[in-house]
Amino acid sequence: MDSNRDQWVEDRLASLYPASDWQPDTFRGLAQFRKQREKVRNRNRRWGWLAASAVAAGLPLMAFPTTRVFAQRCVSACVGQTTWVRNLFVGNRPSSAPSTGYVTPENRKMAPDFVLDDASGKPVKLSEFRGRVVLLNFWATWCAPCSLEIPWFIEFQNTHRDSGFTTLGVSLDEGGWDAVRPYMDQRRVNYRVMVGNDDLARLYGAASLPTTFIIDKSGRIAATHVGLCSKSEYEADVKAALNEQ
Amino acid sequence: MKSDVGRLDIETIFHAQYERIARVIARVLRDPARAEELAVEVFLKWSRNPQAQGEDSQAWLYRVAVRTGLDELRRETRRTRRRSLLRFVGYAPTPEDVRASREDQDRVREVLAAIQSRQAELLVLRTQGLSYDELACALDLNPASIGTFLTRAEQAFRKEYIKRYGQQ
Repeated sequence: MDSNRDQWVEDRLASLYPASDWQPDTFRGLAQFRKQREKVRNRNRRWGWLAASAVAAGLPLMAFPTTRVFAQRCVSACVGQTTWVRNLFVGNRPSSAPSTGYVTPENRKMAPDFVLDDASGKPVKLSEFRGRVVLLNFWATWCAPCSLEIPWFIEFQNTHRDSGFTTLGVSLDEGGWDAVRPYMDQRRVNYRVMVGNDDLARLYGAASLPTTFIIDKSGRIAATHVGLCSKSEYEADVKAALNEQ
Repeated sequence: MKSDVGRLDIETIFHAQYERIARVIARVLRDPARAEELAVEVFLKWSRNPQAQGEDSQAWLYRVAVRTGLDELRRETRRTRRRSLLRFVGYAPTPEDVRASREDQDRVREVLAAIQSRQAELLVLRTQGLSYDELACALDLNPASIGTFLTRAEQAFRKEYIKRYGQQ
């Protein structure tokens, strides 16, 4: 079979023999092999510990509402600093309204007016609530932080209704009333809820959920909260708005 | 205990095969020290790949060794080409470059770097003394076709060599 081999090519390839005085050093190679394996093993072990520590730190942090709010605040603060980087890459997409503290009356902007039907089909016009403090909450049934907040809003509605306070919910569910109505019944929501649309969300800058606005008696936005907030914060804002003349 | 047994097996195979694997790589590289480094890398890859540690360990090691060697050879050839371009802008070749460029080995290596990878792998492993069956197993080819593949590889080598350096 080998008689067909090209002798000329074989002669050329034969020149590839390594120098005759060279001998691979198996013991040196093995020492190197062991060292490298140990290095790889240590690196994997380090990554394992790092992942386990992250999980160990993350679990208790997310287990309780207070620590979850704290974690969310930290993330929001970090993300807030990098808004311009995000804009650079994703372009000029509708951005969410920034969270604000309680804004002094002279610096407030008018809340855009809208008319939407509530669960019973009655139209709800925001400007009709002039003279009352309104907590306007953008939410959705699939949004986990929204579910945490809704019981607080139910409680506010019970406590402050007679003091000139109203909670309004705007759901941004794509499923519309089919998704929202069973959810409302199950949670026994005691305030008026409407199904909103993207135009309204854009108008308010509600790009992420939940987004909540505290609207003063003159129809101006007194505070904006993006993401999950603590109950006491909402309550403080509502009380401050109710105490204004 | 189990890991000690695994380690023992891996190291036994290392002892048995290291020299051959280092020689395959040294055949295509100018620097034997580099060949030894790459041989250790081949064994590291092998030790991390449980599927490669079966009965066909030797074939796997040969295959990866010859590919690693040829990849390094191509990188080396590109580096040399870049240096020769730099000569026009004042780069002075080292005495090592001058000595090495005279050697016929470098011509053969340049040709191996230029022809198809599969053909180069076949020629290098054949010069290492592998039988047709071993070649077929290492390169995952049909044993009945090895003769044909080898003839084509030699023709490609000859053609490329003559194109570059003429009939010598």
